[in-house]
Amino acid sequence: MNGPKIYFTIPLLGGIDITQTTVSSFVVMVLLCTAAVVLGGNLQKRPGRRQVLVEKGVTMLYDMVESTMGKHNSYWTPYIGALFLSSICGSFIGMTGIFRSSTADLSTTFTWALMTSFLCWGCSIKRNGVGGWLKGFTEPIVVMTPMNLVSEIAQPISMAFRHFGNIAGGSVLTSLVYSALATVSAAVLGLVGRSLVVGIVILAIGAALLYSGVKGKKMARKIFGTVFAVTGALSLLGLTGVPYLEVGVPGILSLYFDIFSGGVQALVFSLLTMVYVGNACPPPAEA
Amino acid sequence: MTGFESFVGVNPWTALFTFCNMLITFAVLRKFLFKPVKKMIDDRQQEIDTMYADADAAKQKAADLEKEYADHLQSIKDERDAMLREATARAQKREEEIVSEAKAEAASIRAAAEADIAQERKKAVNDLKNEIGGMAVEIAGKVVEREIKESDHQTLIDEFIRNVGDAS
Repeated sequence: MNGPKIYFTIPLLGGIDITQTTVSSFVVMVLLCTAAVVLGGNLQKRPGRRQVLVEKGVTMLYDMVESTMGKHNSYWTPYIGALFLSSICGSFIGMTGIFRSSTADLSTTFTWALMTSFLCWGCSIKRNGVGGWLKGFTEPIVVMTPMNLVSEIAQPISMAFRHFGNIAGGSVLTSLVYSALATVSAAVLGLVGRSLVVGIVILAIGAALLYSGVKGKKMARKIFGTVFAVTGALSLLGLTGVPYLEVGVPGILSLYFDIFSGGVQALVFSLLTMVYVGNACPPPAEA
Repeated sequence: MTGFESFVGVNPWTALFTFCNMLITFAVLRKFLFKPVKKMIDDRQQEIDTMYADADAAKQKAADLEKEYADHLQSIKDERDAMLREATARAQKREEEIVSEAKAEAASIRAAAEADIAQERKKAVNDLKNEIGGMAVEIAGKVVEREIKESDHQTLIDEFIRNVGDAS
């Protein structure tokens, strides 16, 4: 399994690699910025349909941030929104087939996780000063210091690997399923193609199943009938190299691995960021 | 050069680009999407709040005015009633005055008439007395055809008149 493809290397400063991730992250940025300028422009007091949706989304994000981080932290919403949208678009852009998901690269997720950590540290230092921030590691007792340090270092690593692992793992699994299905279809066609009679019989069974499926409105019969009929037809035509079984099944898997997983990981990543940063910025009354 | 990066690894340049992209995305989203939309929502919220406050104030004012008018109307009604009562009382008093005046006048007219009647009667009686006296003397003279003494004469007349007066 390969990482992102390196398109070319700019021969500067020891070689700057332009990879698939660089490109898709740039594309996501351009898309999001364009969308923001288009959707955020020409706002009216009496909103149209588009503006209602935009306002709904923005309000939802603000509500989410305020309920997780507290009202005093609502100014974090634009960052959380940018993170969430970059993450979800970075994951979904892999489905286009042109770009590789930018979140399937540890460079991306690790950068975002580190940004979250630095924001937390920055908040703590701003509130307590450097001394107070360092002293925070010795709490509640001095013995806990190594564990606090470890958890502080583990936090961005775990965030980065969680997001990266889910998206990259999804794409690995999808490609595995693709190659497995290609192998299976080759094997099936090889078996059926050995004799003409078997091919004709399979085609006939397929046609019969499909006919009864259409008549009886049975989904399973239609599907199996189609598969059998296509198998028979392909073997009769001698096209044994067609990976026809790749149709259908990966689409259903993609629903989970790309859409569901991408959405959930974007949500989890921004929720964790909210929680960590929110902890570092408690309400002013408590400070 | 075309190659592949390792599957699990961090390329510092990619990380740097990601960082910059993230910052740009953040800045653009904030400037062009979140701030204006949030401002619009807040403005609208404020406008709605103001409108509701205005509506409440107007309602309150209308209620106050209504109460004021009702009070005014009530006072006018009271005044009218008082005036009516007064006028009625005055009219009644006037009526009584007129009636009593009329009664008094009637009484005085009647008294005058009675006095006149009494006077007339007295006069008539006197006239009659004289006439009857004369007549009696004449008749008596004729009847007895003799002269009666003056004294007897007078006594007779008086007696006669007394009798007549008693009879009348």
